[in-house]
Amino acid sequence: MKNMLRIEELRVTVEGKEILKGVTLEVGAGEVHAVMGPNGSGKSTLAYVLAGREGYEVTGGRVLFLGQDLLAMEPEERAAAGLFLAMQYPVEIPGVSNMYFLRQAMNAVRKARGEPEIAAGAFMKMLREKARLVGIRDELLKRDVNTGFSGGEKKRNEILQLAMLEPKLAVLDETDSGLDIDALKAVAEAVNSLRGPDRAFLVITHYQRLLEHIEPDHVHVMVDGRIRRSGGKELALELERHGYEQFAAAAA
Amino acid sequence: MGAATRRIDPPPFYGELFARERTRLPGHGRAALDRVREEAFTRFLGLGLPTQKAEAWKYSPITRLANREMALAEPTVPGLEEVSAWFGGGPATRRLIFVDGHLQPEFSHVGGLPAGVRVMGLARAIETIPEAVAEALAGCDPERAFSQLNAALTRSGAWIELADGVALEEPLQLLFLHRGGDSAVMTHPRIVIRLGRGARLHLLETHAGSGSGHCFVNLVGQAVLGDGAELLCDRLQLGGSGLSLLARGFLEMGAGARLRATTVALGSGFLRNEIELRLAGREGEAILSGLYMPRGEEHVDTLVRIHHEAENCHSDQFYKGVVEDRARAAFAGKIIVHRGAQKTNAYQANNNLLLSDRAEVNSKPELEIYADDVKCSHGATCGDLDPEALFYLRARGLAREVASSLLVYAFANEVIERMADARLQALTRRAMLERVPGGAALEAEGLL
Amino acid sequence: MSSTIETLKEHTSGEYKYGFMTAVEEETTPPGLDEEVIRRISARKEEPEWLTEWRLAAYRRWRAMAEPDWQKVTYPPIDYQAISYFAAPKQKERPKSLDDIDPEIRRTYEKLGIPIREQEILAGVAVDYVFDSVSVATTFKNKLAELGIVFCSISEAVRDHPELVREYLGSVVPQGDNFFAALNSAVFTDGSFVYVPKGVRCPMELSTYFRINAAGTGQFERTLIIADEGSYVSYLEGCTAPMRDENQLHAAVVELIALDDAEIKYSTVQNWYPGDREGKGGIYNFVTKRGICRGRRSKISWTQVETGSAITWKYPSCILQGDDSVGEFYSVALTNNFQQADTGTKMIHIGKRTRSRIVAKGIAAGRSDSTYRGLVRILRGATGARNHTQCDSLLIGDRCGAHTVPYIEVRNRSAEVEHEATTSKISEDQLFYCRSRGFPEEDAVALIVNGFCREVMEELPMEFAVEARKLLGISLEGSVG
Repeated sequence: MKNMLRIEELRVTVEGKEILKGVTLEVGAGEVHAVMGPNGSGKSTLAYVLAGREGYEVTGGRVLFLGQDLLAMEPEERAAAGLFLAMQYPVEIPGVSNMYFLRQAMNAVRKARGEPEIAAGAFMKMLREKARLVGIRDELLKRDVNTGFSGGEKKRNEILQLAMLEPKLAVLDETDSGLDIDALKAVAEAVNSLRGPDRAFLVITHYQRLLEHIEPDHVHVMVDGRIRRSGGKELALELERHGYEQFAAAAA
Repeated sequence: MGAATRRIDPPPFYGELFARERTRLPGHGRAALDRVREEAFTRFLGLGLPTQKAEAWKYSPITRLANREMALAEPTVPGLEEVSAWFGGGPATRRLIFVDGHLQPEFSHVGGLPAGVRVMGLARAIETIPEAVAEALAGCDPERAFSQLNAALTRSGAWIELADGVALEEPLQLLFLHRGGDSAVMTHPRIVIRLGRGARLHLLETHAGSGSGHCFVNLVGQAVLGDGAELLCDRLQLGGSGLSLLARGFLEMGAGARLRATTVALGSGFLRNEIELRLAGREGEAILSGLYMPRGEEHVDTLVRIHHEAENCHSDQFYKGVVEDRARAAFAGKIIVHRGAQKTNAYQANNNLLLSDRAEVNSKPELEIYADDVKCSHGATCGDLDPEALFYLRARGLAREVASSLLVYAFANEVIERMADARLQALTRRAMLERVPGGAALEAEGLL
Repeated sequence: MSSTIETLKEHTSGEYKYGFMTAVEEETTPPGLDEEVIRRISARKEEPEWLTEWRLAAYRRWRAMAEPDWQKVTYPPIDYQAISYFAAPKQKERPKSLDDIDPEIRRTYEKLGIPIREQEILAGVAVDYVFDSVSVATTFKNKLAELGIVFCSISEAVRDHPELVREYLGSVVPQGDNFFAALNSAVFTDGSFVYVPKGVRCPMELSTYFRINAAGTGQFERTLIIADEGSYVSYLEGCTAPMRDENQLHAAVVELIALDDAEIKYSTVQNWYPGDREGKGGIYNFVTKRGICRGRRSKISWTQVETGSAITWKYPSCILQGDDSVGEFYSVALTNNFQQADTGTKMIHIGKRTRSRIVAKGIAAGRSDSTYRGLVRILRGATGARNHTQCDSLLIGDRCGAHTVPYIEVRNRSAEVEHEATTSKISEDQLFYCRSRGFPEEDAVALIVNGFCREVMEELPMEFAVEARKLLGISLEGSVG
């Protein structure tokens, strides 16, 4: 099994407050890992730190992505290296059409990898295919990026980008929040269809319900900035029954 | 378009008046104060009277008014009911009452103040703390001609000082009655407010005048709010056709200081409100609201300048106008975000209802921004009543006139709602309603 | 759209690609301005007496006027006696055909990406080429003439269509309108003239390309466009200049007249040399542009993309005189380094049910200052007038400034005027989002700015987008600073 992501004793502070207090996690190629935890446990911080958002101070530990020092890379270098973060709150970019954005993003990543630009025809064909897969209407492709999208549409759009950019590691940050059951299923199906031996997923979620549709190989429980327990998919069910309190008590 | 056309020399009567009156002004003979007055008057002559070529006076024909020969107003004594009609606050409210610029001790009451609070007439302040007064007058607003004229000629007003941490719970009212006379007069009241760290003051300022005699009021207020201090200010201005009221507020706010000022300028022959505000410390907050409702031949204009000089400050301007008949209204609001004043939040709204084809609205909402991490926005509108709202009300059975009155009332009331003192608010609302066409009917029909 | 990104990239990187100079022999009048110089310019252009007198009258007014000082720009005093008011490539007479043009000049326009030809890429655009003080070529003249459309240099128009010129010259921007317009009226040398006859829809874009080449000169062109009843014309304007340490003055006047049911669309991509990174050199772009919707249901639409010049001072305006006429102003002003732009519009509503729309986008970077200054005036008779204004400013870095100075004057009850403005920096969230999708930071900034300006960029005619791409995409070997 090829090691893809390796997080070692990662410590992160935000505005002087320590949020991640030594997180260690390994993700192999082809694996799906779920990180579960209560609100404020540091899950989203982990996602943002992996993607390289500003405002997070790494005070200890390191992260290797395909053997490279991930934390030393700019966000766009991480994207080019094959990391993708589906955000909990996708950002609106007025005036920039969704389709145009996707094509430019694909070409930016391709350029960084030394690959040729994608031809217009091939792009359109691929876009149509993937849009159908995640259930995005053509009309949304022509609209401005995430502008005026409903919560569910934004999440589907994230998965569409994931499908188009074909990353090696996809981090899904609370992709299930704000989704109705139909959208949840569609998103899960799309993710499942993207699973493969060379691609790994890190699924961050509060609830177990997403994991009913995206079956994880490993489940980690994060409480108060640390992974408190790791196990198989049965751990998610246990959490569903007993909640996070047992861990919270342990952390306190 | 040279600088020369932006000012005119003040007519000679100013010089004659200063020469004649200077020895009768309070504090005469105290060298420091005499020098301040002398210098201020010289500056006034140098600055001259602004013409409409001067940007700040573009929509305000002041020279015509200021050019008329005037004398300083003589004291007169009104009846109590003439004054009490404008009382705000409650039974324990302290008041300083001015009639044509003269403090009326018999109606005023500022006794029993808690420790750390000093409230007195300006003349008294000149007697007791002359250096402080001289210093306050000298340092304030050197580039504005009317402020300098005020410094030279002021003889009454208020000195209000709160020590650190002191709060005056009951509102304090400054009540100005402008009666005017047969001949043209002018007054130059000065209000000085000093709030220590964390001090709190609720001020009511009312201007009323019924006469048609020409009365030119050149008011200057200056306030320094220490860190964490809070000033609440409710202002009502309503005068007759003879009143020209020029009210200038110059405020400086420390870190975390808060200001909430609501100015309702219902009308006068000529009414101009200026607020210049410096947010000099971090996390200051200023909320300025205003309503103007000129009618007949009245002129009302507002000039607001907010300087964001420190980080994380918030300012909000909310001004509305209802303009009728042949009246003219102008609003010029400016947000200046100085270099380094990051994380500024500043908003400005100016909405006008123009209810006559002979009336005129001028609006100039302005942004001047030198810091990038800011959120600033403004909006200005001018138009008639919203036809959809009108239709909606009529579809619910209201007659067209009643529906229009109701909409105008609702539009104006949004600002009056922001006044903090209930009594003054009620007083203001009544006076506003009187200016709404068909407003009396609204009240009679119990629609409010 | 990608051209916009390229535009921005080139612009913000500070590389000016059109800064070369053409070695062509020029005839230049000695510096200085007096009545004699004006008479000489007029005589050189073989003008009729009335025009010479018109110029002299303008000059006398100018002498009594003061330079405006209300705009938010600063520059050292201009010595108007140090400027040479006429510069033209030496040529015996205006070339009879496009093939006779001086090869050096021809090469200049090749390098600028707008070759003097009537073919291929520019097939849909007729171009008037103005080189310093004179028009050196105009393409598609004959084809346009078949439709009765006059498209020529203003000097030719004075000769061939004196009645039109005499009727309309100065009718929108009078000689004494402002200091720079008065100066222009006294010394204007060339520029374009367009007349579209009744009911004719001009089948191609008309375009003028202005090039300042000579040192120590100013450019004072004059453009006059008349759209007769029911006609339509779309006109484009582009400009560049060599990189020089000195500041050169460009004081143009543009007058548009739209009669009943006529429509004029006027687009500008202003790319004069902006000066270097330290703010040295660059063009002073002090321009008066004004259109009058004289006819009922007429329409004038201004679109401008202002990226060049050390200082920009221009307010393309519409006088909406005819009932139901429409004025539009779409503007992008991008300043960087030490550039200063004070630009905006005036919409004067006179006729009934007149409508205007203003969309202004300002982007300030470096140590630059960008000001939107606009006037919306609804006069007493403009019943049912409507205006909507949207001004947005974007700041890039903490050393620049962005300012909004709107004037709203309403004198009619039934009018509706709405003004909105915002100022902010590029959102960190947007930047991170784009970067996490693989965009390098500069591209991400360009993408977001591009989105910010889209409403305006979409107003540029297709043909111009092509031309603009050519203009901006060109790289120059051996640029001379």
